[in-house]
Amino acid sequence: MTRTRQAFVFIAVALVALVAGLILYPLSREPASLPAGTPSGLLDTALESLEGGRQSLGTWRGKVLVVNFWATWCGPCRKEIPEFIRMQQRMGGQGLQFVGIAIDEKDKVAAYVREIGINYPILVGELDAVELSRSLGNGMGALPFTVIVDRQGKVVHTFLGATTEAKLEPLVKALF
Amino acid sequence: MQRTLILLIVAVALNAAAAAATGGNDLLPPQVAFRLSAQMAKGDEILVRYDVAPGYYLYRSKLKFSVESPAVSLGTPRTPKGSVLDDEFFGRVEIYRADVVIHIPVKLPAGAQSFTLVARSQGCADAGVCYTPLQQRIVVGPGMGERVPETPPGDGRSLIDSLGGDTAPKR
Repeated sequence: MTRTRQAFVFIAVALVALVAGLILYPLSREPASLPAGTPSGLLDTALESLEGGRQSLGTWRGKVLVVNFWATWCGPCRKEIPEFIRMQQRMGGQGLQFVGIAIDEKDKVAAYVREIGINYPILVGELDAVELSRSLGNGMGALPFTVIVDRQGKVVHTFLGATTEAKLEPLVKALF
Repeated sequence: MQRTLILLIVAVALNAAAAAATGGNDLLPPQVAFRLSAQMAKGDEILVRYDVAPGYYLYRSKLKFSVESPAVSLGTPRTPKGSVLDDEFFGRVEIYRADVVIHIPVKLPAGAQSFTLVARSQGCADAGVCYTPLQQRIVVGPGMGERVPETPPGDGRSLIDSLGGDTAPKR
């Protein structure tokens, strides 16, 4: 192998590595990503409801669902919830349904729901809810974690960390 | 062979550069963000240490320690003063941002050299997420503790019970 040829191979491999790195890295740093359209067992899952008894997420099949995993002890979760309340009020009539899944104690959750006037259903879970969020791509078990589910029950977007009305609205509208 | 090695090094370096170019702010797994170690200090005390990664913090009030063996008894942990976080929602809470060492009195049965400590903690990342409560098990002996492979907490209720304390909402 000549020296020029060696250099060529060297540069070619380096470029491939760079391109691969640039393409793959953004994927690897998005812990909360599922390929768009991933079917999930989400709508077959039942969790304890705030009113008592178990409630299946399948109750809301056919709606555009935004499922938000949160807790009262999680500051970033509290930040985004008022925006969800506004969106539910504004867009509920068009088929948007928020559902909160609190990984928390039921009495604390109930008090908080009353305090800030959450206008969408809240389910409560412990390890079962943590596992559900993991199965949806939240490998770190961190909060808040939010998923958008289309009318067919497929998870189409996931967010780790607080999100906003402005980010959610166009994604949700695209599913109406 | 040498050339392959060089190529490999270049590939790794370029991937690191690509990572830096795209932000490079992966969220650490909680066991890595809040790295736990422990050792016997004297006959009657253990030192528990959390190495908190930059950009992460632990709540002082959420630290809880227990043992599995009924033959071992733990005294009240002495947690150092933390720094004060003025949280938008929870008011002033004490947190640990850097490494923290906790002293815990311990009584071991005669002849015992080591035992398994169960450490519970809860923390957040400045990036804007909080981790669900973390339970770590560690074997405490004369040297630095060996981490026991992570097992999910067996009892979700006690996991949730460990919450509360000074991060209760101020309004």
